[in-house]
Amino acid sequence: MDKKLIGCPVCIEHKKYSRNALLFNLGFVCDAQAKTCALEPIVKKLSGYLTTLELETGFISNEESKQKLVPIMSTLLEDLNAKGACTLPIDESNTIHLKLIEQRKDPQIVQEYDVPVFTESKDHFIKSQWDLTTQQIFPYIDGFRHIQKISAEADVELNLVRIAVQNLLYYGVVTLVSIFQYSNVYCTTPKIQNLIDDKPIQEQCLAYVTKPGQKRASLRDVFQLYCGLSPGTTVRDLCSRYAQQLQRVDERKLVQFGLMKGLIRRLQKYPVKVVRDERSRPPRLYTGCHSYDEICCKTGMSYKELDERLENDPNIIVCWK
Amino acid sequence: MGKTRARPQLSNNNYSITKKMYKQTDGSVHRSGDRTSPISVILVSSGSRGNKLLFRYPFQRVPEGASSLATKQRSPYALNPTGDVLEDQDGDSRFSDIILATILATKSDMCGKKFELKIDNIRFVGHPTLLQTPHTIQVSKTDPSPKREMPTMILFSVVFALRANADPSVIGCMHNLSRRIAIALQHEERRCQYLTREAKLMLAVQDEVTAMTENENSPQSPFRQILPKCKLAWDLKEAYDSLCTTGIVRLHINNWLEVSFCLPHKIHHVGGNHIAPEALERCLKAIRPYHALLLLENEKAVLGQMPLDCSPALVRLIKTCSAVKNLQQLAQDADLALLQVFQISAHLVYWGKAIIIYPLCENNVYMLSPHASICLYSSLAEQFSQQFPGNDLPSMLAKFSLPISLSEFRNPLDAPVQEVQLIQMVVWLLQRRLLIQLHTYVCLLVPPGQDEPGPWDEEPPLVACVGGRSLSTPSALSFGSPTSSDDMTLTSPSMDNSSAELLPGTDSPLNRRMTETLLASLTEHERQAILSVPAAQNPEDLRMFARLLHYFRGHHHLEEIMYNENMRRSQLKMLFDKFRSVLVITNHEDPVISIFQSPLE
Repeated sequence: MDKKLIGCPVCIEHKKYSRNALLFNLGFVCDAQAKTCALEPIVKKLSGYLTTLELETGFISNEESKQKLVPIMSTLLEDLNAKGACTLPIDESNTIHLKLIEQRKDPQIVQEYDVPVFTESKDHFIKSQWDLTTQQIFPYIDGFRHIQKISAEADVELNLVRIAVQNLLYYGVVTLVSIFQYSNVYCTTPKIQNLIDDKPIQEQCLAYVTKPGQKRASLRDVFQLYCGLSPGTTVRDLCSRYAQQLQRVDERKLVQFGLMKGLIRRLQKYPVKVVRDERSRPPRLYTGCHSYDEICCKTGMSYKELDERLENDPNIIVCWK
Repeated sequence: MGKTRARPQLSNNNYSITKKMYKQTDGSVHRSGDRTSPISVILVSSGSRGNKLLFRYPFQRVPEGASSLATKQRSPYALNPTGDVLEDQDGDSRFSDIILATILATKSDMCGKKFELKIDNIRFVGHPTLLQTPHTIQVSKTDPSPKREMPTMILFSVVFALRANADPSVIGCMHNLSRRIAIALQHEERRCQYLTREAKLMLAVQDEVTAMTENENSPQSPFRQILPKCKLAWDLKEAYDSLCTTGIVRLHINNWLEVSFCLPHKIHHVGGNHIAPEALERCLKAIRPYHALLLLENEKAVLGQMPLDCSPALVRLIKTCSAVKNLQQLAQDADLALLQVFQISAHLVYWGKAIIIYPLCENNVYMLSPHASICLYSSLAEQFSQQFPGNDLPSMLAKFSLPISLSEFRNPLDAPVQEVQLIQMVVWLLQRRLLIQLHTYVCLLVPPGQDEPGPWDEEPPLVACVGGRSLSTPSALSFGSPTSSDDMTLTSPSMDNSSAELLPGTDSPLNRRMTETLLASLTEHERQAILSVPAAQNPEDLRMFARLLHYFRGHHHLEEIMYNENMRRSQLKMLFDKFRSVLVITNHEDPVISIFQSPLE
């Protein structure tokens, strides 16, 4: 049959009905392969409305008013398919509003060293639609400030910022990248091919990374720059090696775009304390589970300080991944 | 932009706020296991005695009393202080046996098809199977006495209850299992009425227990009593338990027919995320003869898990495969057709017994996988120290922080014994998905028109930025250790992809025309740019370049070009170097086989 039926049967028991109970069910028929989780709340809501209507005015058991269901159902079908929302006037005083809400997957946890960046232009963001916390941190989200910094500068408690950004993440308004420093190391992923194969991404990239006021950068230059990012090469090295290509390209935006689209990934350093004598405490942060970014955020050290401290420690080895 | 979803109001209490954040899957199987594990398994039948629920596992917890349930009522906006759900709200405990029997035992015209029913948070999946057509119940015409109807079973169904938000591929797999069990049961029923006998047993026990309950007024689950008496019940319980833990089901219906099944979601999971079966299948379709099969456990362990009557080809393959042999060589050594080797390999990969890698050789470049666990206290670290005493895992992994080739990794002054151990360690790391292999990809990108070609000679060469790899010739290594990949590719026949039609040698008009044809697929600007490269003046080089043109889209890595075109690594690298002004080179993992190291997003 290849179809799927969604319904919410209702049973109202009362002596006035011919069999002491009224059973009805308003549902949808869909393609078996279609994703229909968004329709379930609508079916439930409708069944609740109809139950109320029946209890109040005998809407369904009454043959006359039952006829009104036919145009209601056709409006429902057309509008939901066309607009994803519909308004159903039942009678002079009752109207039902329905909307398909897209189900999204749970967002990841936002850490204090993550950097939120807007997926679309910041101008499209309508502040008044969001809660107060989001409105307060909004000016500080620029794709370069990390959560801890936003929290400090916007004067909002850290966990509140984390939740607000997680909410934005859920709706796809922002995405998370890592902190930018010139000492960072990145490498390409297989998705770098999309820059060559996918025209829209190409256009988007070239528009995004070109320095303002300059002629658009060439694809070859940008691609070379991305491919120049590899393990062992810092962004600083890239800048000195490819100075010619970087004349028209902003390296910070280059890295930002690459991370947002998954064209490149960041290689983080993880210190592990491998040798220690029995009497000392077990390492708390140097276990290989915490990156430099995280340790710096948690302890307040700068990257350089941490680096110096660990480079000279023979008991600690550092892994990049 | 929608409004913020209705959520509990943010209070000033920091502690409660933290709790409200979405819980991250912490990489443990537990969370993802919830969605891929069934909630319960149910056996229903429909026949002359009506719809019956024959067996159900896990047993229902008999409710203590109605009062305890009432206290659990709480507002949906209240915070849950423990953060854990004490009682499984998605469970099917609210469906009584009778209701389940009614909804799950379908009519005969729904038999032989997938049955799927979702009620609120539970999804039931099964495959109703007809035992006999309802109209052909034999009635003896000569018997005048009132026909004593033998209770007959018309159809049955093994139903799995899953969580509603289970992946569609999980639902498909469960349906598959239900069908397999149904086929086995149908066969046994026809042969020796196995199912009818078991059903009779189950119903008899149920009646007994119901009678006892009425007398003694202590509720008991009848299914608990069925379990020790009924082999089929035991099989179903085992299937459920296996699905919840290992994901590998092996039943012997009536101690005779084997039903085996594996749930890829449980078997293939990397870092808490499972690899979707479709991704797995896509990868298996893209295996090439130059790939190799790497067993995930040692040979003996894998052979021990095979059923007794498995195909001898499978055994031969397992015994002959090795990390240094590609599939083509494996086919020759095991005396099997290449296609068969592909099929058996795909089978082993699907069942989680092996993965596909590029065969180990000197020039392979490995790097730490982004999903590798470097944690000092992980179980992997312990296993590593046990396997290779005197070495610890984090130090070994640190060596792969920067991409390193196997030849660099080995110290030429090491004794052969140490060399072998190093290779074993690399194999161990590959088996546990800790390493990824980097390949070189090439892309044709000419400089834009208006600018003059810059001073390319002053720039550092744009060859693969991976360490200082020397273009070494194959060194005399002991048997079983990796050789240079050149050896392997030179013995392989070119596949259809090669453009071997171009005759090597002189600059004949035929060759010139062919070169022109190949270059004709480019734009005028690209053609000009290529022809203006100094190396293009050499007809040999230009011919080779034109021949390999279709590989320069960034989708084929160096080793693949070597294999298809029967060329040496050094030849290709020189060519890339000569034409570096129009090519861009990068290194990354092979997306085809990298799914074993990183789940697809």
